[in-house]
Amino acid sequence: MFFSKLKQVLICLKAGRVTLPYPYKPSPPPEGFRGKLKVDIDKCIGCAGCANVCPPGAIEVIDFDEGWRRIQFHLTRCISCGRCEEVCPEQAVKLTDEFELSTSTKEDLTVTIEIYMDTCQRCTRCFKPKHPLDKMMITGFRE
Amino acid sequence: MLTGREIVKTLKTKFDKHILEAEEKVSNQVFVRIVPDALIPVICFLNQTLSPRFLINAATDMVREDGKYVVSYIFSLDTEKIFLCIQMAVNAADPAIDSITPIIAGANWSERETRDLVGINLRNHPDPRRLVLADDWPDGVYPLRKDFPYDYKPPSELQNKVALKKPPQGTKVIPIGPFYPVLEEPAYFKLFVDGETIVDCDYRGFYSHRGIEKIAESKLTYNQICFIAERICGICGFIHSTCYCEAVERAAVIEVPLRAHYIRTIMLELERIHSHLLWLGIAVHIIGFDTLLMQSWRIREPVMWLCEKISGNRKTYGMNLIGGVRRDIPSDIHDEVIRVVERIERETLEVIDAVVEDTSLHLRLKDVGILTEEVARSICTVGPTVRGSDIPIDSRVDHPYAAYDLIDFEVAVETGCDIWARTLVRLKETIEAVKIIKQCLLEMPDGPIMGQVMEEIPPGREAICCVEAPRGEAIHYVLTGEDNRPHRWRVRAPTYANLQCVPYIIKGEHIADVPIIVGSLDPCYSCTERMAVVNVKTGAEKIYTKEEIIKR
Repeated sequence: MFFSKLKQVLICLKAGRVTLPYPYKPSPPPEGFRGKLKVDIDKCIGCAGCANVCPPGAIEVIDFDEGWRRIQFHLTRCISCGRCEEVCPEQAVKLTDEFELSTSTKEDLTVTIEIYMDTCQRCTRCFKPKHPLDKMMITGFRE
Repeated sequence: MLTGREIVKTLKTKFDKHILEAEEKVSNQVFVRIVPDALIPVICFLNQTLSPRFLINAATDMVREDGKYVVSYIFSLDTEKIFLCIQMAVNAADPAIDSITPIIAGANWSERETRDLVGINLRNHPDPRRLVLADDWPDGVYPLRKDFPYDYKPPSELQNKVALKKPPQGTKVIPIGPFYPVLEEPAYFKLFVDGETIVDCDYRGFYSHRGIEKIAESKLTYNQICFIAERICGICGFIHSTCYCEAVERAAVIEVPLRAHYIRTIMLELERIHSHLLWLGIAVHIIGFDTLLMQSWRIREPVMWLCEKISGNRKTYGMNLIGGVRRDIPSDIHDEVIRVVERIERETLEVIDAVVEDTSLHLRLKDVGILTEEVARSICTVGPTVRGSDIPIDSRVDHPYAAYDLIDFEVAVETGCDIWARTLVRLKETIEAVKIIKQCLLEMPDGPIMGQVMEEIPPGREAICCVEAPRGEAIHYVLTGEDNRPHRWRVRAPTYANLQCVPYIIKGEHIADVPIIVGSLDPCYSCTERMAVVNVKTGAEKIYTKEEIIKR
């Protein structure tokens, strides 16, 4: 009993103080951390592949106007699994190492991008033109 | 030791008229289709000849396909290393089967769950109360039937409240839970006590039933389910996603690269290390020894950092997909993995050395919460709980998955049957896990980590997978379906089996020992409940309804 307690005291003394000074000092996560996602609007082609695979359904695709597609990333639902990053054909979605997401306004955690796309003459749904220059030829281009 | 084919043959010669179909669909998984009336004779025959261990039963709605409900009883034949699945089709007009709970006590909850969720009525069930569904859920509405939309909210009916047992003559009621400071996760135990001694108890749980099986069967796709499966448990999530993936891979015959199997094994063992150290901390915290809580959690922390480095997050690694894993463990990180686990091994051995002779721990943990071998076998208890009672059940050996069939390790078994024995089993397993990880890193072959997945997983295939979680066996049963999602996905977490033995192991113990006895099972449950108030002077009990609580 006595020796047990002595050994326990030794374990505690040997360990010393281990608490990290975070948040007074930053504590950067390791490489490859899956944090807040970042979208590069210039690369996104609006294929909605990410919305298809997203397990919690955090990515919403709305064709809100003729030729316009809005993609919303609801980070409040995001589980940082990185499936969107994996399937994106253009590497437009990246997971960053940012993990301090607390905010008092929910809107801060919604990333919205709007992409101008071609409209299919048959089904009137959006699709990406073949060449980036093609979209400049469309009347009313405003990007 | 019989092979699957021999078991089929034995059953066919004995029950020729009653067996409609018997086949080894997946290797070491025998599926036998019988007529519903033959269930009890078949189970009795199996009990006498093969001593099967009951795992779960699952009911599947096949009304749209052939107008029937299919009920599957899944058993494990531990010596033969075979899963035996007894299935029967019940008419949709009057779905009812004979309950096997009078023969196998461990089937109690599982059978009640099929009744609650799919509406298979039970004949001769000893305790046919509601189990899973909420107190205000209307009668006759069965959420896992296919005609029930996943987002439908039925109107609340408060009169359906489950009647808990009446206290026996001469006893008082002590409620523990649902919010009890020591058992961090809420559960409601109604203890019947005579003075300090517990006479009997009743349990109401399942407040946290969130219907993930339903959402998986009606909304998600195969690869999305991996992530919701991982969120079944906050500690052993990777176990559930591995179990689900392996079940689908076995059903659809998807070849998984060997390297992916090894990576899964390493992650599973890392999870076992941090889960056991977490449990040690919580257990000693329950008995008031917070120094060890601090130290065991300190020892645990580097594993979390290591997992973060490998997978990108401390918990919920998100590594599994059907066909393999998403992230590799590159060779430049191997040294760090070995350094971390060796440090864990060294420090855990120091802790073991410091506590094994501690008589104050012995006083609290030895000869308390005795789980006899007989009770353990009849309730079909699993994991370290049962290995502390000298029953060497371990699905890593009995039903190998991932790379465990290629690895040498020992199954930790203790004979004490008490909480101390369960503690020692867990500590030994932590040390064993370090050896397994080192062995895996040494033997891991090069190659791809993701297998070729065919375009469509064909419908109508079924398979079972059983993974040894830190708490015991997690079991997933998958029946593949149309639209890129399973037709039926049945999950059983280990605590489901272990919690059923609580009434047996707290009988005759003191009230003060209840938290550590329940804690020694490493239980894993959560959520909301009503409130029970006992008038101290009169001993009268009044349960406040939801409305009354809101009014206050």
